[in-house]
Amino acid sequence: MTLTDDELVARSIGGDAESFNELIMRWERPIYALAYRVIGREEDARDVCQETFLRAFRALPGFKGEAKFSSWLYRIALNLCRDWIRRQRRAPVVQMPEGVELSELAAERGPVESIEELVGRRQLSAVVEEAMTLLPEEQRTAIILKEYHGMTFQEIADMQGCPLSTVKTRLYQGLTVLRRHLEKNGVALSRIEGVASSKVAGQMTPRLVKR
Amino acid sequence: MMNEAFTCGDHGALVSYLYDECTPGERRAIAAHLVVCGACGEELIALGATREQLAMWIPPDAQLGFRITPETSKANVLRPARWWRQPMPAWAQAAAAVVIFATGMMMGAVRGVMQPADGGLRGPAVVRSNTTVASNTANTAAITRADLVALEQRLRSEMSQTRATSQNVVASPADARIFERVRVMIDDSEQRQRRELALRSAELVRDFDAQRNVDLARIERTLGQMDGTTGAEVAQQRQMLNYLMRVSQRGQ
Repeated sequence: MTLTDDELVARSIGGDAESFNELIMRWERPIYALAYRVIGREEDARDVCQETFLRAFRALPGFKGEAKFSSWLYRIALNLCRDWIRRQRRAPVVQMPEGVELSELAAERGPVESIEELVGRRQLSAVVEEAMTLLPEEQRTAIILKEYHGMTFQEIADMQGCPLSTVKTRLYQGLTVLRRHLEKNGVALSRIEGVASSKVAGQMTPRLVKR
Repeated sequence: MMNEAFTCGDHGALVSYLYDECTPGERRAIAAHLVVCGACGEELIALGATREQLAMWIPPDAQLGFRITPETSKANVLRPARWWRQPMPAWAQAAAAVVIFATGMMMGAVRGVMQPADGGLRGPAVVRSNTTVASNTANTAAITRADLVALEQRLRSEMSQTRATSQNVVASPADARIFERVRVMIDDSEQRQRRELALRSAELVRDFDAQRNVDLARIERTLGQMDGTTGAEVAQQRQMLNYLMRVSQRGQ
């Protein structure tokens, strides 16, 4: 029987560390992904992820269940990311891949995609990652929470402590900046489109690809 | 709440439509506007395409697998006991008792031999000390050698019973090997202790003999001094007698 987050939280508060470990197993990947996308460094994202669960475990007795456990975790993680960014006092550095190991890529994915498709996916991922670094922190965080963690406008507003309309504005402005940057890299995108699978290419707007 | 009538250029409403977070009425109003407004329609398509490209961003794989380990588990870690905290074997306790007893007896004997020689020169504090030693010796002397032998026999029989019991409990060959190894270690240790005990005893006997020889030499010297003193007195008396005889003969 799979327990819900709330049930696992209740057991954890009761002193069952294994229940909390179950919560960690359930949420460490999303929290790591959030941290990585916000701060852009793999090792630091791992540290933030670890620290998030450590803080959550210590603060668990104070968790009243007013928000979802996942929202509470995201809030802790975002605060840690914000602290990290303040400490760095500079824009997050994106680790751009210098070369693409084909064998490594082939091992990561199943046999459904060809190596060319994998290369295209990896390169497109790097382009998007680079574009995200151009955004101010608030816009980047709003887009990450919306696009990769499926939060509602209201949840993002609660998380960022701002009005609902501000969240929409941040999303619109962020998406517009990203769109322009990706259009400027139209050559790269069209090259990617040449090697990427029809699925990936089909998801791109023809106008963007062909420019 | 957004207006049911969509205004061209309302980016917030467009974003709500993009993410499908608007009421059915708002959705209908925006959809109707998009049919007639090419700019808004083009922008919406471009934003949608950007969203699809964002989906391509995949963070690198990381080794995670974090686990919370309660600090209290540290208390459950079993650590090997320190050698000085391990219980002393019964034979070692018995051996220690024998050594202490023998040492006490020897010290008492040595003091008993030395007392006549210099007992008159000792002060009050030393005398009190001797009295204490004498009383201790008297108490210790109450335990006879037969008692100690009986104690040792009893301890050995208990140890052999314990060994027999532990042999019966052995469940697996691995345990038997461990017990055998422990038994060998105990036997080695016992032999080592016996050798050490014999060595200590020999040293005590040797020291005792040396001290006795010294004491005897001192006694002989003292007696010689007494003999010398007596001879001198006899000679002096003899001289006195000779003098008296000479004086009396002159008077006759």
